[in-house]
Amino acid sequence: MARITTNFMTSRLARVLPVLCVTLLPGLANAELESLTENELSTVSGAGIGLVLEDFKFAHGTDIDNGQVFKIGGIKSTDGQDVEIVVNQLYIAGAGSNYGETLNPVNLGRLVNPFSIDVVDGNDLGITDKAVLSLAAPTKVAATEGYDCMNTGAVAGSGTCSSRPMTADFAGERPDIGLQMNITVGSNQSSNLNIHAQSAVIDGSYLRLWGDDERNQLAGQFKLNFYSPELSINSCSQDGSTCGSRIRMSDFALELALGNVYQPMFIDVDGAGNFVIEVQAIAKPAAGSIGSDGLRASSDAATWDFYNSYYNNPEFRSNLSIGNFSVGDRDFGSARVEGMLVQYLHIQTQDLAP
Amino acid sequence: MTPMMRSYLKYPFGVAAVLLSTLAQAELAHLDDEVLSGVSGQGGIYLSGDVTINEMGGPIQNSYFGACDEPGKKCGARLAYRLKQDGGWFVLDDIRGSFAFEGLTLRVRHIDSGFGGDGALFNRDVVELGLPNVVRYQDVQFKLAASSTARPTDPGFQQTDLLSIEMQGDVTLEGNLLVFPTGNP
Repeated sequence: MARITTNFMTSRLARVLPVLCVTLLPGLANAELESLTENELSTVSGAGIGLVLEDFKFAHGTDIDNGQVFKIGGIKSTDGQDVEIVVNQLYIAGAGSNYGETLNPVNLGRLVNPFSIDVVDGNDLGITDKAVLSLAAPTKVAATEGYDCMNTGAVAGSGTCSSRPMTADFAGERPDIGLQMNITVGSNQSSNLNIHAQSAVIDGSYLRLWGDDERNQLAGQFKLNFYSPELSINSCSQDGSTCGSRIRMSDFALELALGNVYQPMFIDVDGAGNFVIEVQAIAKPAAGSIGSDGLRASSDAATWDFYNSYYNNPEFRSNLSIGNFSVGDRDFGSARVEGMLVQYLHIQTQDLAP
Repeated sequence: MTPMMRSYLKYPFGVAAVLLSTLAQAELAHLDDEVLSGVSGQGGIYLSGDVTINEMGGPIQNSYFGACDEPGKKCGARLAYRLKQDGGWFVLDDIRGSFAFEGLTLRVRHIDSGFGGDGALFNRDVVELGLPNVVRYQDVQFKLAASSTARPTDPGFQQTDLLSIEMQGDVTLEGNLLVFPTGNP
């Protein structure tokens, strides 16, 4: 009796089990998967990806005899003539390249502070309840453990940059970057322009992207830090045999902030196919919320604090400083533009093609 | 022999299978993250490649796309993306050409030294992508553009080409790209 029951069960199960599995498993799987709201997603903080380039060297240029071509075209001058840029050399290589003459490998990013791609919690960055995609260069560090951003002989504890300069036995993390090009406008004789940056550091730079609910648009925040002990521009004859005076900008530091948590940068294409970059103006305070004397005591405290932090936050401001500006053997001294706050920005390309 | 035992004996294979699977389960043990991090596979992957995009033209032929020998038509691939609801499109247009490389390597590497002292501090595994030293470009070109519609065949199509890039010949690309997780997963 028992055996009959077992057999019956077995055969029954054998027939039903696959059906049951097929029916139940997707049900289980469905029960496990739930869509996350934007709010929930914003609190998800997974591990990001760290990227380091070891012994890296990139070079490309134009050498017609050896079949190498690197051209940038499609640009028009204001009077509608075609502009063609022939890139003679573009390189990213180790420090001490002597304006691109000797290209040695270099590291980009540090294992303990790499370039990173990550989705981060917007609440930690002041972007409320948003998941933010962050592409970032190595971060700045405390001055007690970092390296001076300019000095090519910097030692630990001399500054806030994480990337290290080249030493006798280590290539460092500061590349030489250069672009040498010939520019032809219409049928005009082409002119030559060379730009070189030595021992460049971009620590603390980032691009953060998220979606803006009100405008249904991609919003972003872009910070570019660029430090170089020497940024130089010069012009040579077509064959490169004779060169004019070199314009040198020593101790060049650019800290550019486009967009911030209150005024994101919006990128768009308009209906006519033109490229638009916009930084929205900061909202005006409600009438009467800031006292006529501008002091906190006579104003709505929260509103006053908001504008006070907006105007005082050094992170929102752009700086440019050049230690010494020289042309040939003439020095023009130093230049500084500090504390620029982008209040409103609207850039739109315009098609000059007929 | 009890009726129960007799019934088991009727299914010797079933019993063996059940027993063996129990034994096998006893042999398999979970590896925790720490032990697993010490496991190091052998070798890696060595890749050589020759990638050609739209050399002879695209799959669609109409008044815009076409065969590459018709100068009035675009024959490269087109990638359009939109950053705003009902907004315009960013376009990578007319993507053509071929890349050839030899010696792209992929492996897992343990780093515990070098890197100016960072290696010893790091002491972990990374995925290492060994760049191929030289990438040979053959007529590689693309355009950056902004367009009013996704497809050039859509009504009201207007496009502004911002710039075009053309590359040919050997490009030096040396080094290793190291990829690893950051933060605390």
